Amino acid sequence: MNGDEASLKLRRQITLTVNGKRVKAEIDPRMTLAEFLREELDLTGTKVGCNRGECGSCTVLLDGRSVYSCTLLAVDAADREVQTVEGLTDEQGKLHPLQEAFIEEDALQCGYCTPGMLMAMKALIDRNPRPSEGDIKQAIDGNLCRCGCYPNIVSATLSASERMARKDRVD
Amino acid sequence: MAESKLLVQGTPPPPLDREFTIVGKSINRLDAPEKVTGTAKYSGDIKLPGMLYGMILRSPYPRARIKRIDTTRAEALPGVHAVLSKENTKGWRTYWYRVPQIAFPECLTFEGHEVAAVAAVDPVTAQEALARIEVEYEVLPPLLDAQEGLQKPASPLVADEEYPGSETYGRKPYIIRRGDVARGFAEADVIVEDTYSTQIQFHGTIQTRACVADWDGHTLTLWDASQGIWNSREVLAKSLGLDPESVRVIVKYLGGGFGSKAFCQRIAHYASKLSMVTGRPVRIERSRREEFLAHPHRYSCRTSIKMGAKKDGILTAISQQSVVNVGATSRYYAIQVIWHTANLYACPNIELEQVGVYTNLQPTGPTRSPLNMTAIYSLETHIDKMAARLGMDPLQFRFKNYAYTSSMSADFAVTVNRTVFDEEKKIPYSSKNLDECMTRTAEAIGWEKRRKTPDLSSVPVKRGMGMASFLVFQGVGLMPYKAYADVAIHKDGTADLSIGVVDIGAGQQTIFAMIAAEELGVGIDDINVIYGDTRGTRYAPSSHASRVTPEVGPAVLQAASEAKQKLFQIAAAMLEVKAEDLRSKNGIVYLKSDPSRSIPFKSVCLRIDPAQPIEGRGSRSPNPDNPMFSTFGAQAVEVEVDEETGQIRIIRVVSAQDFGTAINPKFCDSQVYGGFVFGMGYALSEEGIYDPKTGKLLNPNFCHYSMPSVMDFPPLEPIIIEGEDPYFAYSAKGAGENTNAPTPAAIVNAIYNATGIWMNDLPVTPDKLLKAIRDRKKKR
Repeated sequence: MNGDEASLKLRRQITLTVNGKRVKAEIDPRMTLAEFLREELDLTGTKVGCNRGECGSCTVLLDGRSVYSCTLLAVDAADREVQTVEGLTDEQGKLHPLQEAFIEEDALQCGYCTPGMLMAMKALIDRNPRPSEGDIKQAIDGNLCRCGCYPNIVSATLSASERMARKDRVD
Repeated sequence: MAESKLLVQGTPPPPLDREFTIVGKSINRLDAPEKVTGTAKYSGDIKLPGMLYGMILRSPYPRARIKRIDTTRAEALPGVHAVLSKENTKGWRTYWYRVPQIAFPECLTFEGHEVAAVAAVDPVTAQEALARIEVEYEVLPPLLDAQEGLQKPASPLVADEEYPGSETYGRKPYIIRRGDVARGFAEADVIVEDTYSTQIQFHGTIQTRACVADWDGHTLTLWDASQGIWNSREVLAKSLGLDPESVRVIVKYLGGGFGSKAFCQRIAHYASKLSMVTGRPVRIERSRREEFLAHPHRYSCRTSIKMGAKKDGILTAISQQSVVNVGATSRYYAIQVIWHTANLYACPNIELEQVGVYTNLQPTGPTRSPLNMTAIYSLETHIDKMAARLGMDPLQFRFKNYAYTSSMSADFAVTVNRTVFDEEKKIPYSSKNLDECMTRTAEAIGWEKRRKTPDLSSVPVKRGMGMASFLVFQGVGLMPYKAYADVAIHKDGTADLSIGVVDIGAGQQTIFAMIAAEELGVGIDDINVIYGDTRGTRYAPSSHASRVTPEVGPAVLQAASEAKQKLFQIAAAMLEVKAEDLRSKNGIVYLKSDPSRSIPFKSVCLRIDPAQPIEGRGSRSPNPDNPMFSTFGAQAVEVEVDEETGQIRIIRVVSAQDFGTAINPKFCDSQVYGGFVFGMGYALSEEGIYDPKTGKLLNPNFCHYSMPSVMDFPPLEPIIIEGEDPYFAYSAKGAGENTNAPTPAAIVNAIYNATGIWMNDLPVTPDKLLKAIRDRKKKR
């Protein structure tokens, strides 16, 4: 910050897709994607635990890949597709199998890392529908949980992927 | 079933008199749907119209005096609504626990100490305002080391010099003594002495502290990140000169506590004041760096133990000296490092001394087993050392010296108004199943396969097993030991349960709903829990010190039981039987002697006047001096140590805890996992690192402060040992805090079993282990 008052008023226009909806906004170009989601769109499900890419609680999907939204500028998400935890449930509000499994396996306590964990797992399952325990651990190695839900998060993801595979076979 | 000794005011509720239908089931947590969909609003997610953003300017030095502070350039910045500093807040006190502290002191005693606070229209403007505050500091040499502090005269320059409370505990030794240690050591065949050091640990809650304060001219509403709404309300009212009735504190979701948010946070005071000054709502959200710099973390400590035993393994004497670095704090646990030594084993002669020293490190405070983990680490490692010297199995050695009673009553924890505890009491525990915990742990880990002696061969990768046991006083916390709960049964057959507790993620909301549903004999979905809000609830303790299940549980049970008895009066008339002969379960009210004579719970409720729900009130009475309440447990660990790289890999863990009754077993397992993360981090990787010259914290981030990740987490088998305890609701003790207490000792004992090396200095990082291995080679 150079203290120049004019710099406090910088604005840039962006258009992007968030949870399937087109969003247009005029924002401070220094704003991170996490800030944009939370402060401008009120999508506060995305949490910011460290704001420097160390804890993973801000994980969202950008064009289907998991990213730390705290280390990405909102302007860099322009014309791209963002998915947050609010977009995990279907239109009728039915929970995603990952969400169901997280509840069932007690894969959350305080719940603050949960949205990031869920999104990291969503990215994994989308590209690898039957991940191994090792795949799962690798996918959330950058996501910290201080309540110690790690074993339950792993088992929840395994159970969700099984459930989804079963459903695919039935369908 | 034993006679109920439930600690409630008035008549204890009649026994349930039937098998459980809800308690003991792994029910999903009630707040999980909000948490997995992102709709749970944590304090930092609250946004109000016209809300301002607050930020704090913090001292860059551990010890300094403000010579001059000029805030005019910050105030002149458009968008800045208020700047608070020592210049315009004279006489204002904030509180840590109940200890008053100058809100913006002239003398700063730790890096991160508050210098000024601003409120502005957006975070960018607030940050710019902080940059425009001019401060001239007189930088003073910091006192960092507690041992060094003991040698020096008390520092005249402390932030709260008007409140010498900071030095209340400082340097005053607290002593627990019984028998005659000199005689005990004279009788000993073997004497083992050693010194242990433990480090600063940070809570690392994933949510950084955040709050939103809204003053409307009459009422202050605070969405806080606190573990206790009632304690926050009390001190906020005091700090701001308000009637407690006009302060409302709300905590619906909390992103991790572990003690760090045990009491009202300092930012809550600043946000509230800024809201009162500006007339607008104010949010303050701390950065991760601020979380490290300005919150009370775990104490560092240095402990020397001398232990004597007979050849047959009977302890004859223990002496201990512990020096605790309490940082720039005003509250600490004056005998918590020595209490365990006095009570885990039945040793006739002890002389234990603990002294706390005030320094210019950050404040210290509650941290998941604050000093318990420190105490258990040094004691339980030393016990293994003694067993090794005696050539005994450490498990057998523990059994040989098993203590059946407590040597002290519970009053010490809350009224530390004396410094010498020298009368030995033999107070029974309300329940104690430590022996079973140890036996089951040993069976599950395969203790019989443990190496009898360490592997001293030249094989680089070695395996070993270690164990530690623990006791943690149940319900340490502040007075008053009281808690209330209210139940209201409505005409539609549902019941409200009002409890002034915060669900910090341990599942408090669900646990109390389960207790109420069990007692009423209805389903969990029929209970609507009103919690985490001082409006609509009565006093309850903070969710810390594993205390709400044991303390609030009885009040919930009593409230539900009272409401149920009233409902039975209506049902009795309907069934033409006596109310006292009725029971209820699974939504049915039935005659105990003839369950076929029954009526649905909801049908009885139809007779309730909608304007006058049936009410039941519950309140728990204070802890008695007798019996003693504690939780117990044992943990065993198998490790693999690579002597070439210094890497330690935990292969397997078994953890057995005496929880009384597990109201919700899967929540209990989750607590064991969580405790292990804390204990493992403390044993192997977590440490606050300070520059010895400037006293500045060098690793205030998750990159350089290394908490266990999913990759580090080993296979862990939790075992819940259940037993009756008539003093608690359905025998349920607390489960949260104690589960990490034995972990570092179990790991260090396993490292010894693998390598023959004792690691006396936590954390056991690869460099320390490699150095120890090299030193041993040199000696040979």
